[in-house]
Amino acid sequence: MGKTLFEKIWDAHIVIEKENSPSLIYIDRHLVHEVTSPQAFDGLRMNNRSVRRPDLTIATMDHNVPTNNRTLPILDQTSAVQIQTLEKNCKDFGIQLFDINSPNQGIVHVIGPQLGITLPGSTIVCGDSHTSTHGAFGALAFGIGTSEVEHVLASQTLWLEKPKPFEIRIEGKRKNPHAVTAKDIILSIIKNIGTSGGNGTVIEYKGEGISDLSMEQRMTICNMSIEAGARAGLIAPDEKTFEYLRGREYTPKNYESLVDYWRDNLKTDSDAKFEKNYTLHVDNIAPQVSWGTNPGMTCDVTESVPFPEDFSKGDQNQKKGAEKALEYMALNPGTPITEIKIDRVFIGSCTNARLEDLIEASKVVKGKKLSPHVRAMVVPGSQMVKKQAEELGLDKIFTDANFEWREAGCSMCLGMNPDILSPGERCASTSNRNFEGRQGTGGRTHLVSPVMAAAAAIEGHFVDVREMDLN
Amino acid sequence: MKGNVIKYERDNIDTDVIIPGQYLKVHDYAELALHAMEGLDPDFHSKVKEGDFILSGRNFGCGSSREHAPIALSHSGIKAVLALSFARIFYRNAVDGAFLLPIEIEEDAYSNISEGDELDIDIRINEIKNLTKNKTYKMKPFSEIIGKIIEAGGLFKYKPD
Ligand code: SF4
Repeated sequence: MGKTLFEKIWDAHIVIEKENSPSLIYIDRHLVHEVTSPQAFDGLRMNNRSVRRPDLTIATMDHNVPTNNRTLPILDQTSAVQIQTLEKNCKDFGIQLFDINSPNQGIVHVIGPQLGITLPGSTIVCGDSHTSTHGAFGALAFGIGTSEVEHVLASQTLWLEKPKPFEIRIEGKRKNPHAVTAKDIILSIIKNIGTSGGNGTVIEYKGEGISDLSMEQRMTICNMSIEAGARAGLIAPDEKTFEYLRGREYTPKNYESLVDYWRDNLKTDSDAKFEKNYTLHVDNIAPQVSWGTNPGMTCDVTESVPFPEDFSKGDQNQKKGAEKALEYMALNPGTPITEIKIDRVFIGSCTNARLEDLIEASKVVKGKKLSPHVRAMVVPGSQMVKKQAEELGLDKIFTDANFEWREAGCSMCLGMNPDILSPGERCASTSNRNFEGRQGTGGRTHLVSPVMAAAAAIEGHFVDVREMDLN
Repeated sequence: MKGNVIKYERDNIDTDVIIPGQYLKVHDYAELALHAMEGLDPDFHSKVKEGDFILSGRNFGCGSSREHAPIALSHSGIKAVLALSFARIFYRNAVDGAFLLPIEIEEDAYSNISEGDELDIDIRINEIKNLTKNKTYKMKPFSEIIGKIIEAGGLFKYKPD
């Protein structure tokens, strides 16, 4: 019987395998950031261990760096300490660090691909759940906990239980690809399969709806695999993948021979079997807006906030969850999504802060002004994205419309740096999690695509971006 | 292992409510513990006692990689979380760091056990006794590797045979 792409990559990385027990898996790349690494380095020191392969380990700071003026000192003392700790750890253990002043600094899942560190067929880990992003390149990439970070630092391997392969086919053609985006595809999937629909699996995304997407859009899809509960998301590499990685700063010297190998080997065999299958037809999907407190609580922009009994389909826990969510979000069932007014807009995060995301959002904003009661921030995913966007004049388009244009980092995706919502504030956000308090205590998050966020910023409430002229 | 139950009757308790993002910078575990569950239940800190258990629905611990989540719970005194299912990273963090036991239960235990009930959990025989209600439930056994890591006292003490 044939093998899935996931099984091929897994098998190629087995160090030790025994029946009915976990396998020891070799890790090709380890990405490190300031939040989940300090205890891991402490652990190494305590046990007199070194980092086994500093050359395969790359660090950056993204989660708690401020995104305003970088020449100012960091005011928050605990953030400053966490950042200095990473600097010291990287120095002591010989790890390359892209620090706050590096032109390569950025969100760890944005810089990996853009530097050519993320490669097809490799295993990539990071102490961060959205490591699944790198799967867009046909890499087996997943988030790990801090003890596992220490284990990888010390041994470049991990004990893992083998996940099951899950095939998600995306079929059809979107009618308006500028308005209905990769974000809407992945939100639709999570809405349908649920936030634990992918538990214990590695999802492979396939079909016309995937090959149509650019690499940056594919990253948006794989990024949110974890929100469906999956360990990782995976897309077989194709010519777009190879083209994207060609000539980047860390792309290997023997790249073309690697490409030949990848082209022949990195795909699921036609007779391979998946544990689970799901198909989404995208011909008629609408822009999505989350209304609740997990990414599965999402509906079409043309719909209304659901009634808990309709949403839950008879499941008591789901019903209670929806009631709590509506209370937290201060929403009444039956309210049309387009009548929900917003206070803040956040265009950023490892889901949607790449160049293409910013270009698409800028088309909505160009020549218009921010709604007077809204505060909007655009936070590029990396310093390189920022620079490229500025070369295209995007910063000007946004600032002319009264949006703030900021430095790279995780920013308002999670409330641990100065960019946060105030209690009760409602935000249209291009990030990936709408959990209670995610963007700041009491803050209310609606997940949307960059164009939907931009349109909401202009109008002051959600609008169906398909009705705007985007060309 | 005996303790009382704090019950959260909902699915998808995520790591952002277990320990909100602003505390991820905190390194002092005792201080982290002060903010455990703050996103969901501001009274948690005043009601939790050493040895207590949390009982909840499906997909407990979904969300981020933050090891701070099991650490905050364990330093609050929580010895085990009983849930219908767990998100993988939380589960492994809890076991790898030997912070607390993630115990998968069935619907009967979930619906029958109430807030405050005293339980006696015996992971050697996969049994949960409800001393308050005088009932016994089965827990789902740990997989072989998880059982071994727990026995060893965490991932770094675990030596594969
Ligand atoms: S942008 Fe958000 S989701 Fe992505 S790595 Fe940063 S905090 Fe995590």
